[in-house]
Parts: sequence; structure tokens; C-alpha cells
Amino acid sequence: MSARGPPEAAASYAGGIRVFKRIADARRADGILRRTVPTTIAAESLSKAFSGAPLFRDLSFSASSGLVAIAGRNGSGKTTLLKILAGLARPTSGRVRLETDGARPLSTSEQRLAVGWAGPDLALYGEFTAIENLAFFRRAAGRPASEAELVRRLADVGLAEEAMRRRVEEYSTGMKQRLRIAFATLFDPPVLILDEPMVALDLDGRETVYRVIETARKRGTVLLASNDERDFAEPEQRVDLAGARRREA
Amino acid sequence: MSALARAWAVCAKDATQELRRKVAIVAVFFFAATALALVSFGIGPFGLRAEDRPPLLSALLWIILFFAAATGLPRAFVAEEETGTGLALRKTIPAVYVLAGKTLFNYILFLAMTAVTIPGFMILLEWRIGSFGALAAIMVAGGFGLAVVSTFLSALVARAGQRNVLFVLIAFPLVMPLLVSAIQATNQATNGQFPLDGIRILIAYDGAASCAAYMLAAVAWED
Repeated sequence: MSARGPPEAAASYAGGIRVFKRIADARRADGILRRTVPTTIAAESLSKAFSGAPLFRDLSFSASSGLVAIAGRNGSGKTTLLKILAGLARPTSGRVRLETDGARPLSTSEQRLAVGWAGPDLALYGEFTAIENLAFFRRAAGRPASEAELVRRLADVGLAEEAMRRRVEEYSTGMKQRLRIAFATLFDPPVLILDEPMVALDLDGRETVYRVIETARKRGTVLLASNDERDFAEPEQRVDLAGARRREA
Repeated sequence: MSALARAWAVCAKDATQELRRKVAIVAVFFFAATALALVSFGIGPFGLRAEDRPPLLSALLWIILFFAAATGLPRAFVAEEETGTGLALRKTIPAVYVLAGKTLFNYILFLAMTAVTIPGFMILLEWRIGSFGALAAIMVAGGFGLAVVSTFLSALVARAGQRNVLFVLIAFPLVMPLLVSAIQATNQATNGQFPLDGIRILIAYDGAASCAAYMLAAVAWED
């Protein structure tokens, strides 16, 4: 647990948001949203119930670009919704549709890599170094990568080169969180799903995640769930799970 | 990248993990050594009449191999769920490649176990084999079936409660045909015969188990 007091934490948030706004301003100045693989993700009448009790009902939204803020109180179903969108859980009813701009539905294997996901219950192999972890997933997914590329990706999330070559079981919680972000972006997915990505991160880590979000937002869609409203800087769309309803931001 | 290369990546990952952690290797080899020691003390080289030895020793060998395998092979998928890495695997790699890679690793582990257990069995129980070639063919064919079924069941029970008990309960009826055929074939090999029919049955079992595992991999692991 962090021993920092509220003023320091507030300063940390403010610093992170400042960085986010600077990047957002630069994006607006560009005036262009550049996307490498145009992809639409759509939730169509999604419902999920556990033991008969509905977590959310008839949830529908669609996004092709920008930041989608997934908001809601603890237990409102944010993590479950994101897992359903990532293809890691099944809805009780409804479906998730993924297609390119030409309305071509993506194949199952395309879907698997087209949606990057990182959540609190994602774990990577503790016996391996960060580089070995990423190298394995790239190889097994049929898209091997050079060590130089993996080092660059890990550096992008703020892991020092010495840390990249240490076993993950020796990592702090914050370092594991950075590695999760690197895993989520490993295939440069057009849709990036991040569930509480700021958890356990220091100010530098938050700034890194804001940069990752901004880069992914330029390329496609970012679905971001957080319990902290301050993490949602200028979202293009907002999904509020309190009443399973959607409204434009 | 070919399907084989992707499955091999999973197998190599499991092998590297196992060499660094040594959980399944220690469990399998320790069980085999303990069972072997107990059987040799209980029966010993002189505890049986000569005509009773081949069928009884064949059965004992496969009982040791099966239960030793059952202590380590089911870890294939169970370990992924226990450590939380299953989500990352499911997110990036199709189930059939994961299953193929893990089956390959379990098969290699089984063959390594037999390479150690059989010489020990021969020394401690003075077991004489009439046809080494036949025994090798039985181990190759029988071990593959056992690896396929164990790995598939591991995927099936990985997210269930009481998974160890569940594994043994489901595995027993599924591997019974394989064990009966393997025991009978091993008995024939002990007597110097080549058990062609027994080996055919084992190969047919391997084919059927592989097809079923291939078709049901996604259902067992991803749903």
C-alpha cells in the first residue's frame, strides 16, 4: 500500500492529467485521427447475470475511434463487461460485433489480436523475464518479434533495460502493471481495453499510461474502466453501468 | 508461421517453465520412485511364481505409470489457471495450439518418466522383457494416448472446484480402454511376442482421442 497522503496523491493526479491534456492538445492540433486498422467494436443488447441477478441489461454502444469511458460503482460490472468485449467471457444475452470500416466481420483469430486487453487479474509468467514473456506470446500467436522490438515496447511502458531482463516474479506491483500494459499493446491492436490501468502506478507510471492511451486513441478505440473519474480526460463516449445506459460526452 | 511452430512455442514455454520451477517433474518422478520402491518391497523378485509374473508385473508397471502421470500431467492447464496466466493465453493463442503444445510437453514428460521407471522396474523386480522393440512401441503409442487424454481433461477441469478429484474421476473411464490394451500388450511383449493387435488398438485410441481433443479444445478451454 502506498504511504502517500492525500495532498501528494492529488498532486500526482494533477500532474498526470496535465500531461494528458498536453498530449490531447497536440492531438487536436494535428486535427487528424490516424488509425492503422480501422475497426468498429459494438456491444449489441449485452446482458450479464450471475446466479439470476442481472449485473447489467440490454447494454448497447458502438465505437470506431477515440476514448470510451466505462464508469460505474464497485460491483457494477465494469470488469465483466470489459472481459466480454475482449472475448474472455460470454454474455448471458446479446453479442459483441467487431468489423472493419468496410463492414467486414473479423475472423476469430483476427478478433483475438485486434482487441488488446489488460485487467487486474491478468498475470504473466513469473519464471520468465519481461522480454521472454512478450517473445513467447508473439511467437505463439504466429507473429514473432525481434528482441530489439520487444525492448522498445517495454521501454515505452517505462521498464528499465535491467528490469526487462529480470524474472517477473521479482517485480513490484507497479512494474507488473507496466508489463500488463505492454502485453495489451503487444500486437498494436486497433481496439485497446484497459481495466483500471492506473492501479499501483506512481506518477511516472500514470504519465506513461496516459501516453499509451493517447497513442492508442489516435490509432483506434480505447475502452477505459476506472473508479476514478479523473482518469477519463475528455472521453468521446461514456458508458455508465450504474443504469447500463450510454450517453455521448 | 506454421501451426506446428506455434504449438512448439507453447511446448518450449512449458518445458522452460518446468526446468526452472520443477513442479511436475518432481511430482511425477517422486511418485514413480515411491511406487516402485513400495512394489519392490511388497512383491520383490521372489514373491511371485514365475508364470504369474508377466501379467502381474505388466499391470503393476502401468498402474505406476498411470498414477505417476496423473500427479503431473494434469498440471498443464491447471497451473495456468492457478497462476492467472490462463487469461493471457486465451487472449492471444487459439485453444487448439495451446492444447497441442501442452500435449507435446506432457508426452515428452511421460516418455522421460518411462525411460527412468522401466529400468528401475527391471532391476528392482527382476523383470525380463522378451521384446524390447514391442515394449518401446507400446510406450510410444500408449504414452501418446495418455498424454492427449490427460492434457484435454486438464483443460476441461482447470476452472472447476475440486479439480484433482474431478480429473481422476473423469480420467478413469476414459483411459480404461487404453490401460487394458497397454497391459495386455505389455504382457505379450514380456513373453517375447509382438502384440500387433494391441498396438493397433492403442494407435486407434490415439487417433480417436486426438480428433476428439482437437474438436473440443475450444469448448474445454475457452468456454
